[in-house]
Parts: sequence; structure tokens; C-alpha cells
Amino acid sequence: MTTKNKVWLMAATVVAALFLVGCATEVKRVGVDEVIDISGAWNDTDSRLVSEEMIRDSLSGGWIDRYNLTLKKAPVVIIGKIRNLSQEHINTNTFVNDLERAFVNSGRVDVVASSSERGDIREERTDMDLNATEATRKEMGKETGADYMLIGSINTIIDAQDKEQVRFYQVDLTLVSLADNRKVWTGQKKLKKDIKNAKFR
Amino acid sequence: MPLTQCPAAFGDRLRRLLAGVLVVLAVVVLPGCATYSIGVAKVELETSNRDLDGALKSLDELKLSGADQLLYHLNKATLLRLQGDYSASTRQFETAKSLIDKLNAISVTEQTGSVVVNDTMKAYEGTAIEQLLISAFEELNYLQSGKLDEAAVEARQFDIRQRLIVAKDPSAVYLSGAFVRYLNGMVYEEVGESDSARIDYQKALAGYQAQSAITGTGAPAALKADLERLENSRHSEATQKSPVHAKQAIRDEGEVVFILHDGLGPTLAENIVHIANPDLQHGTAIMSLAVPSLVQRPVPVARFELNAGAQSAASELVEDVNALARKNLEDRLPAITARAVARMVLKNAVAKNVKNRSGDNGGNLLLSIVTDVSAIVSERADTRNWSLLPGNILMARLSLPQGSHDLAVNYYDRAGNILATRQYAAVTVTAGRKVFVSDYLLVAH
Repeated sequence: MTTKNKVWLMAATVVAALFLVGCATEVKRVGVDEVIDISGAWNDTDSRLVSEEMIRDSLSGGWIDRYNLTLKKAPVVIIGKIRNLSQEHINTNTFVNDLERAFVNSGRVDVVASSSERGDIREERTDMDLNATEATRKEMGKETGADYMLIGSINTIIDAQDKEQVRFYQVDLTLVSLADNRKVWTGQKKLKKDIKNAKFR
Repeated sequence: MPLTQCPAAFGDRLRRLLAGVLVVLAVVVLPGCATYSIGVAKVELETSNRDLDGALKSLDELKLSGADQLLYHLNKATLLRLQGDYSASTRQFETAKSLIDKLNAISVTEQTGSVVVNDTMKAYEGTAIEQLLISAFEELNYLQSGKLDEAAVEARQFDIRQRLIVAKDPSAVYLSGAFVRYLNGMVYEEVGESDSARIDYQKALAGYQAQSAITGTGAPAALKADLERLENSRHSEATQKSPVHAKQAIRDEGEVVFILHDGLGPTLAENIVHIANPDLQHGTAIMSLAVPSLVQRPVPVARFELNAGAQSAASELVEDVNALARKNLEDRLPAITARAVARMVLKNAVAKNVKNRSGDNGGNLLLSIVTDVSAIVSERADTRNWSLLPGNILMARLSLPQGSHDLAVNYYDRAGNILATRQYAAVTVTAGRKVFVSDYLLVAH
């Protein structure tokens, strides 16, 4: 093979390799704490930052101790509606579930099933009436009533021009007493991002 | 290094390469164009005949990908919406929006391709009208699946999206998204954000007024009534004069909002001009210039009537897609033509160069013919568009007492003949809420 032909062969191999690399699907396992921002939209990192802040703030807020001191038992919380008032379709369940988990695992706050969860549970209880043994059957009307409801909202302010956007997120969570509507705890997390979209692709 | 200063062998190789590229592109691009137009016509026919399963299958068979990927998502989203699969339709619209955001960045390769070969080399990113209407249909998807908060997210998102779309062409006042703003107002009212609703109704009214010179129609009367109601209520709150009986009446009644996708939106045809080159030795034998032209399709329904027992409401035109698309193409045509002229000059220059260097040698003569042919066949207009958009959108709103209602809708043509009647049994109307119902009639059978 002449030197010229070898050069052509090498060039063809490099081009073919480049094409093949472009076609292959690549999957890389990464740590859940690793920050990977792709589009600038709400992502797992935002959710994690919100849940970390809310967990820290809610468990040290003093409302649990005040309740304990007065009633000598753990307060019971039910998860209410977290309204998405932002410009993005955001799944609020991720950080709400984190907070719920922290409440339960702390042993200081009891959590009862939310309105969307209890339908299935009640259905199961009805089913037990017909199908479960007397010894294992669970009665109706023995649910634990909640003391507080967790409600909240996500708001955004977006300023955009040409290829640049500044996105501001504010997540507010509040625990409201079901007895008298008092707000016993409010948590807030603010996030701000400056996003510069590529001019060329 | 300019081509004329290249060593002869390298220059020759480069010319052959350019001609080869043109031929290959012509071979690759042209069959694609033909398949697309034929395939989409089949999808449109099946949709018009209400064979949505068939249309979805035909659309999938088209295998629209690469530069045409957006068209796949937009058309699929429309078909799924017409089929009533609102979640799947929304997923397609969301993919389309992400793709548009991605395509917002300039591709040097595609831009070069559009000047060297034709405009179909560029990835289709949708016209401004199409991009605005994605929000309307996605919002309707959410409204018709009872996801009010999600619809409100879309409404909020539209503010930014429309601003960025209009920023590219600030003089285009008809890009107001008047219909979307009107929908946004209704959505905001549904989620209890009356201030936002009032602002969007105001913007919708201003938008309809701004585009009235193009569409020949003004703002819908129902929109004006909404705006007046909210402004009066704001005034009453400020002056502590609450019209209790009026509020009570609103609380006891709900409203059916009926939306019709009327006819198919415009399609684009190719206008191609071939000019014989007077100087055959210096350029292509025939110079070609191709630009798109708009072909409006008949809109079957002139008006419709929404009936529930003795009560009825007449439709109003809320979006004249045909008129807006025509104006939009007229505005884009100078730039499209400029690119076509640039292509013609470039292809002529390549041909001239090839011919100047070819002698009587048979191989060079063949190369010269190939260059001529490829220059002609590669010149194509970009006739891609979101072809399943409706020609226009009609809306009727009927206030009804809370409860279950049987609805009947009569579609009339321009002569006043009934084209079709649709029945909707047991539509649940909730006091103080709106229920959204939609249908489509694409051709008069």
C-alpha cells in the first residue's frame, strides 16, 4: 500500500470512528448529589436544596417542642396541597416526600396518609370487612386525625431576553393548625439561576 | 485560499467534490421532499375522514426525523389531541417545545446548507404562529383533562415564550397570541387569579385589535364581556359596592366552552422559476429560484350553534390561522427570496468555475452536465409546515345551571346549510366553573 493510500485509509477510519461514537448511547452512573444542570429548568438539585433546607428548618423550628410541652405527645401532620404557581411543570412530590420521610424518621412528628393516599387504604379496609379474619380485620373509624396540615407553593419570576434568562424560584411551605388555622411554622427556600443558552449548536 | 489560486490538481478535485456533494444531496433531499408531501397528504385525508388511528399510523410510517423531527411531534400531538388522548398529546407538545428551544441556537452547518443547497437543509423550528399555538393546544389539553394548575403553568410560561418569539420581529403586531391570551384569562379565572385574568383579557383584546386589519374581525364579544365583568368587579371591590345578586347568579351557574378546529390550515406549495442562462459557457444552463407560496384550503364551518335544551350560544371566530399564516409568510418572503437568490448566484458560480476549467474532455463535459442538473434539482422551496393546524378556531360559550346537560352542536356552512350535528350526552356543569369541550370538522362531506 502506498503512503498516499495509507493516509486515505487512516482518514476514512477516523471519520468512521467519529460517526460511530456519535451514534452510540452512553450511560454513566453518577452520584445523586452530583450537580448536573442541562437546560436550566427545575431539576433534582433544586429539589434536593429545597428539601435539605425545609427539613433542617422544620425540625429545629420550635413548633414540635412547643406541642410536646403542652400536649406531651408528637404532633400529627397531614400533607396538603403544594401549589405550583410557577412557569414550569414542577413535580413537588420529590421534596415533599423528603420532608415527610424526615418527619417520620425523626420520631418527633407523626404523619398520616394524605387525602390522595387514604382512598386506597379505606378501600382496603372495606375489603377486609368482607375477606379478612376477625383477628386481623381493621375497623373503620380508627384513623388518627391530623393536628397540622402542610401546605405551600412554588413561585417563579423569570426575566428573559434573547439567549439569557434569570430564573428566580421561591418555595414556601407552611404548617397550619387544623384546630384554629394558626400557622405554626413557615419555611422558605429561594433559588436563583442565570442561564445563558448557546448561540450555536 | 481562493479557489482560483489553488494548484490545478487540488482545484479540480475540489470542483469534483462540490459537484459530487450537490448530486448526492439532490439524490438524498429530493426523495425526502416527495415522501413528506405525499405522506402528509395521506395523514390529512385520514384525519379529515376521522380515521385518527389510520392517520397516526401513516404519520409514524413517514418516519419524520432529523430536520423534520418537529413536524412529527406537532402533527402527532394534534392527532392525539383530536383523539382525546390529552396526556399523550401534551407529552408530544412538550417534546416539541424542548426541540424548539434547542433549535433556537444557530447551526452553522444548516445555515450553510440552506445557502448552498436549499432551505430544507435547516431543521424545521416552526413559524412564530405555530410556536404560539402550541401553548393554546397544550393549555386546552390540560383544561380538558381537568388539570387546572397545569394549565395555569402553561399560561404563565406563555408570557416569556411570546416575548422571546416577538423579540425576533417586534414589528409583527399580529404575533400577539390574542387567542392564547384569551384562553389564559379563562385559565387564570378558573384557578382564582382574577388579576392575572384581567391582565391577559386586556392583552387579548389589544391583540385582537392589532390583528384586525389582517383577519378582518375584531375581538370576540364574550372576551369583551369577560373583561368588563372583571373590571366592574374590581371597581366594586374598590368602592365596597359588591353586586351580591350578580355574584350569586354567577355562583349558581357554570359555563360550557366549546371549541371547534375548523378546516385544515394552509399548506405551502413550491413556486419555482427556471430562467435560461444567456451565457451558457459561464454558469448553469438553467438558473432556478424556488420560494414557497401559501395555499389556503376551504374552511367548511362558517358558524356553529351550541344548544342545551332551550338555551343556545352562537360561535365566534377566535383565531384566524389562515389569515395570520398568510401575513407571516408575506413577512418572511423577502428573506427567503434573498437566500434563494444567493443560492442561485452561488450555484451559477460553481458551474461557471467547472465549465471554465473543462475543455473538450469527455469527463469534464460529464462533470459540467452533472453540475447543471444538480443545480436545478437541488433548488427546492421549503414547503414544510404544521399541516394539521386548523384553518381557523371557533368558540361558543354557554352559561348553564349546575348539573348534567345534553348538548347538541349544529355546524353551518356559508350558505346556512347544516353540515353536521354532534351530540354530547350528560356534560357535567359545575357552578362557578367552566367545562371545555372540543371537536373538529376538517372538510365538508
